[in-house]
Amino acid sequence: MPRNTTKKSQTKSLKTVKEKLKELEACSIDDKKTRDLENSRMALMNILEDVEEARKKAEEEKEKTASIVRNLSDGLIVLDDKGKISLLNPQSEKILEIPQKEMVGKKIGDFEGVERMNPLFKLFKKELKSIFRKEIFIDKELILEVSTVPMIISGTEFGTIIILHDITREKTVERMKTEFVSLAAHQLRTPLSAIKWTIKMLLEGDAGEINESQRDLIEKSYQSNERMIGLINDLLDITRIEEGRYLYNPTLDDLINVTESVVKASQDTIKKKGVKFEFKKPPKRIPRVMMDTEKIRLAIQNLLENAIRYTPSGGKVTISIKSDKNKIEFQIGDTGVGIPKEQQLKIFSKFFRGSNVTKLETEGSGLGLFIAKNIIEAHGGKIWFESEEGKGSVFHFLLPVKKELEEFLKEF
Amino acid sequence: MAKILLIEDEEIMIGLLQKKLVQSGYEVIVARNGLEGMDAMRKEKPDLVLLDIIMPKMTGFDVMEKKNEDKEIRDIPVIIISNSGQPVEIDKAKRMGVRDWLIKTEFDPQEVLEKVKKQIN
Repeated sequence: MPRNTTKKSQTKSLKTVKEKLKELEACSIDDKKTRDLENSRMALMNILEDVEEARKKAEEEKEKTASIVRNLSDGLIVLDDKGKISLLNPQSEKILEIPQKEMVGKKIGDFEGVERMNPLFKLFKKELKSIFRKEIFIDKELILEVSTVPMIISGTEFGTIIILHDITREKTVERMKTEFVSLAAHQLRTPLSAIKWTIKMLLEGDAGEINESQRDLIEKSYQSNERMIGLINDLLDITRIEEGRYLYNPTLDDLINVTESVVKASQDTIKKKGVKFEFKKPPKRIPRVMMDTEKIRLAIQNLLENAIRYTPSGGKVTISIKSDKNKIEFQIGDTGVGIPKEQQLKIFSKFFRGSNVTKLETEGSGLGLFIAKNIIEAHGGKIWFESEEGKGSVFHFLLPVKKELEEFLKEF
Repeated sequence: MAKILLIEDEEIMIGLLQKKLVQSGYEVIVARNGLEGMDAMRKEKPDLVLLDIIMPKMTGFDVMEKKNEDKEIRDIPVIIISNSGQPVEIDKAKRMGVRDWLIKTEFDPQEVLEKVKKQIN
């Protein structure tokens, strides 16, 4: 190829390239715009798609949540921050027999006089107090356990959920169990009294003279039988506590007198055990308290029996009573074996006995403190203790000085 | 000799109480349920009735109710001897005119005898 020709053609082609480039440049400006536009459109579409997807997802989630709420076996009532009902599930409609549309937007306090709403009305008419597993009766056949849960999102409370949990079946089973124990205990009493009477007549010589070693054996069986009767009585007390028909005929009574009668009845046991005993009475008279005297006597007796039983001979048991115008405090301290720290939480449980005392002796049913706690609490009082293993225990109970019966007959 | 009517369905209890009461010089008539008890009360006019509560046919409460309706036997004193002894039951029985209430697991024959003596004198 000749050189100049080449140059010429080179120049030409350069020109073409330049033009082309220009063309391309012009074109690319347009194209870039289009492409940008296209890109934006695509991005927008993507966003829209994402939004749609998110919306669908949210809808699905919402539907899922709604379906969970709808199909929960518990009734749910959702209230907004002003206490107005914003949602309730079919289960609550069924329980309350009021359709959702008649409930939404109203407050619980608006349902005065609506029969099935009455228990909830009573609970929440003034305020939405927080409640945990409170038992209520909607009617004779429907018992609920009500709890409230605050709805809190990032620190702000924007409403409350009321949960209505049906416990009718549990209650029925519980009642059947209680009735069974009660019936069994009653049935057991018949042969136990026959044994008691037969042995007693033997001991009294109704069947002729008995010699010393015979008497010794017969007395042992009599004692064992008495223990059995005591156990059955404890069981019966418990069934009555569980049936909620425990307190009977409360009257104004003096706790000092009641305590004295228990102490008097325990004199023999105190002497036999060889423990020192002191009853520190307050210098002034104490106010009389509404009480089921027999039951309070039983509570004190259980506390005193424990103190004597678990205090080694040479130890000391002290009872003291003090009062102000609102309450009376009973206190019983001992220098006994104490309650192991890790078991202190369980001490008022039914059938519970400390590991250190089960080693000590087999007697004791583990029911005494459970019964005492229920008696005191049924009177609107409270019971507590301090204890150190190896050093002793102090049990306290408080009884409120009140004259109103309503307050007194607290439900269990 | 004072006459005591024992209305009770438990054979062992009947045996024990009868033995104790006869030993102490009382005449004892036994009825094994409420119905028999009513008949015996009308026929024998006892000085005292020992009455169980839980019995077949007629309970002790039924017996008290019927007895209170009958002028002839209304004033015969009654002591309840029962396995149970709820304050509610005792109150109800006292309102029906019962003189005393003994819970079998809490009393023994000797104490029953003392209660009987108190009512008959």
